[in-house]
Amino acid sequence: MTGDPLFADGFDWVVLAILVAKAVIGFTIVVVGVIFMIWFERKVVADMQNRIGPNRAGRWGLGQTLADGIKLIFKEDLKPDRADKPVFRLAPYLSVVPAFLTFTIVPIGGVFTGGNDGGVELFGRRTWMQVADPPVGVLFLLAMSSIAVYGIMLAGWSSGSKYPLLGSVRATAQMVSYEAALGLSVVAVVLLSGSLSTHDIVAAQAGSIFDWNVIATAAVPFVVFCVAATAELNRPPFDLVEAEQELVGGFHTEYSSIRFGMFYLAEFMNTITMSAIIVTLFLGGPAGPVLFGPPLIWGTLWFTLKLLVFLFIFVWLRATLPRYRYDQLMDLGWKRLIPLSLGWLLVIGAISIGRDAGWNRPLTLVGAFSLGVISWAALIGAMRVAKLRRGGDEFGELSTATERVG
Amino acid sequence: MDQYLPLVVMFVLAVGFVVLSLLTSKLLAPDRPTQAKQAPYECGIVPTREPARRFPVRFYLVAMIFIVFDIEIIFLFPWAVVHRELGAFGLWAIVAFIVPFFLSFLWEIAEGGLDWGPLARSRSLGVLTGPERATAPSVRVVGLEGRLAARPEGRATVAVGASSGGDAGGVGH
Repeated sequence: MTGDPLFADGFDWVVLAILVAKAVIGFTIVVVGVIFMIWFERKVVADMQNRIGPNRAGRWGLGQTLADGIKLIFKEDLKPDRADKPVFRLAPYLSVVPAFLTFTIVPIGGVFTGGNDGGVELFGRRTWMQVADPPVGVLFLLAMSSIAVYGIMLAGWSSGSKYPLLGSVRATAQMVSYEAALGLSVVAVVLLSGSLSTHDIVAAQAGSIFDWNVIATAAVPFVVFCVAATAELNRPPFDLVEAEQELVGGFHTEYSSIRFGMFYLAEFMNTITMSAIIVTLFLGGPAGPVLFGPPLIWGTLWFTLKLLVFLFIFVWLRATLPRYRYDQLMDLGWKRLIPLSLGWLLVIGAISIGRDAGWNRPLTLVGAFSLGVISWAALIGAMRVAKLRRGGDEFGELSTATERVG
Repeated sequence: MDQYLPLVVMFVLAVGFVVLSLLTSKLLAPDRPTQAKQAPYECGIVPTREPARRFPVRFYLVAMIFIVFDIEIIFLFPWAVVHRELGAFGLWAIVAFIVPFFLSFLWEIAEGGLDWGPLARSRSLGVLTGPERATAPSVRVVGLEGRLAARPEGRATVAVGASSGGDAGGVGH
């Protein structure tokens, strides 16, 4: 399988029409999705805090996001005089465009069981139910999340104000740190699927629930990915980027009008996309039992249901958990998640190769895990050494000479 | 290359969406800037200090360490895709690649290269409440390395992160 079969037999106007139609549909899904996601988050958080939440604009307040958007369009767009104007204008683009682009690689449906390859017929052409299936697939996801860092960093830097600058510096360090953990947990998925394409990753999980990567990789990369994804999204409990109590609004403090709205949209688009990516990589995407009727509908239905579960969890986290402290955040990323996902990756690789080479399975497992325990012990030891040095002689004079109250 | 065409279409749509939104706002929104509106945000008071041009060097270090990790991940991806064809040789090769990497990572942690928190163990409130408090200049300490020796005798530098606000209080060293 190499990519979308839409382009297999030449390129003509029908292909172009299908391609554009798919892109427009994907675009619409993201825009409509984000409108409902913002409403959903506000409503659920309100319920959890014993409030009513938005209830004026439209039935159950469903039109609230739209009303907010229209309001923002009519607001004055302030540009601070200290701002670096071209970069200040560029930053919202760098935030929104990657948010749209990431969604293109998510398969939102299709039948993968019973010899089907997940394709659908459109005007006599076969195509996947995803906007694009680039061969680099997952790498594209990582690339886009890297570019989103630029949006936030440049927004804060170009504002010429202290709170946005601090927010963006924090954001950059945080997103860059967790990207390593994110990448390493994705490698575990790629290892099992043998392909970078999201379509192939979903196809590899199509069998039973035991083929889903969350079970096939024994849950650890899944957990690491979810934590790292929450940090990448700058969502609570990792929302230090816009910690209201310390940094006003974080990187978008100086933004107003619809320019601010763009960052707001991008944030929620990224939440939807990241949930969709979690479902795709670890939970089989559209995989699920077909109960009755056409199987095509069930694929999309299962995908949507799984997506909603993750969207709810993201909102739930926000309503439940207090914010992390910055050093806790960095410690979790660098000293826990990265070594854990790296070690787990090697164990999965050893098991996979051992199965092909006919190694003694229990022996492989025991060997791999004892090596893992030794490495982890070494890691704890290294952290103890660092702690002793901090409190020990090297900085001993600090307590009288220099003091920093954090 | 055809596989990337939908991405181009989506890119155009996304850019168009932003351009259209900003354009609509430009046409419909009022534009009456005043000096107060354009000043940097400062909770209503007149800004007294320039925005910080310096922030803890740790943030740069994180970026540099990340590059090393990123290179490692880049090498892991091709191995993950073809690891079954490479077999045991590929596994030993990647282990030989990761072991030195992990050891240097351990060394870095032991050196305190990834420590962020405040120096909780050496905290004492004496300097904050004593007479030194009033005479000490409130120069913000960005990084401690190389600064302790250079300071003149008797002039203790006190950075009261909580009250001077400004810099990345608590984030620094």
